[in-house]
Amino acid sequence: MGSMSLGPWAALVSLGTDNAMHGLSQMIGQDIEVRSFGLRRVPVAQLPEIVGGADAEAVGIYLTVSGSADGHLMLMYDPNIAYAFIDLLMMQPIGTTTSLDAMGRSALGEMGNVIGAFFLNAIADASGLDLRPSPPAVMTDMAGALLDVVISDILLSQDETYVAESTFQVSGQEISGNFLVMPSEELLTALTVRRAA
Amino acid sequence: MTIAAVPHPAPRPPALPARAGRIVLGLGEWYVTADPDDTLVCMGLGSCVALCAYDPIAEVAGMAHMVLPDSTMARNGAAGPRFVDAAVPLVLDTMVERGALRTRVRVHLVGGAHVLAVTTPGPQIGDRNLEAAIRALARRNLHAKYEHTGGTKGRTVKLTVASGEVVVATAGSGATSV
Repeated sequence: MGSMSLGPWAALVSLGTDNAMHGLSQMIGQDIEVRSFGLRRVPVAQLPEIVGGADAEAVGIYLTVSGSADGHLMLMYDPNIAYAFIDLLMMQPIGTTTSLDAMGRSALGEMGNVIGAFFLNAIADASGLDLRPSPPAVMTDMAGALLDVVISDILLSQDETYVAESTFQVSGQEISGNFLVMPSEELLTALTVRRAA
Repeated sequence: MTIAAVPHPAPRPPALPARAGRIVLGLGEWYVTADPDDTLVCMGLGSCVALCAYDPIAEVAGMAHMVLPDSTMARNGAAGPRFVDAAVPLVLDTMVERGALRTRVRVHLVGGAHVLAVTTPGPQIGDRNLEAAIRALARRNLHAKYEHTGGTKGRTVKLTVASGEVVVATAGSGATSV
């Protein structure tokens, strides 16, 4: 997958994730501590298993990346984790939300906006590239079904992609989730060229 | 590269589970079997389309988990059974090799949904996958049933070799035998 090693890309994604957590912290008005962060390059076809199984119910927050190059951002959470996020965003006790209604969907969409913008801004600032997120789409479905369109786009040109797994603590609660960062070959090439310049 | 063509009796790729009899096909995988203890499964289909084919006399079943419509779309030259136009003939030809008669083969197509609430220009990939599958089957004078296609919800499909029964489970709903 391109000539770029995992190292520089991992550093950029880590930077972007830290910035995204900073944005989320501002949004909910509470400190968020990133407890662990890992980036893996994985076969695209294994993505559904990595996020818990193709037919496991999941909540996905999806944004496309455009500008200097294209890519996909997908936040995927077990529904109970997504509900906890909604409670944090709505400043209500965790456990209050038990299903995804229009208000919750809107709250998660705002979270996707903030995370996407802060994540991409950090990478754009570090690389000099113009990277813009689309408005987020929030959906509940089988994890495999949520990923299909993204996977089909990536499989046209590459067989592997990146998965960032992060665990963070907020309000004394540890929350973990998958942050799928799927740069196109074009974006990786653009980053490589920028770094070499 | 873990997307594997799995012509019977080739060894199963590591992605397939060890549990005997229940063969879960990942993205771009396909399988043909005449073992009555086998059940073929495609889980979490969104825009992907599952080809479920069965000869009720020879009791030979085939399934493919197809991701993209046309192998000419491949930008890295990696054509293969992830593409509908490659997977359909592979499954049907292998079924015939295993004793099926093409004219007896019953086909169901499942999937081809538009799950992501994001609109892209032109036909959605799920629609294109379905159209490609119908075209590929028509080239072999086969017509599929496809009542569990399209829409906005993910699906899981199971084909039981012993009976030929096809069961579809839709996200947020129950399972239906088709």
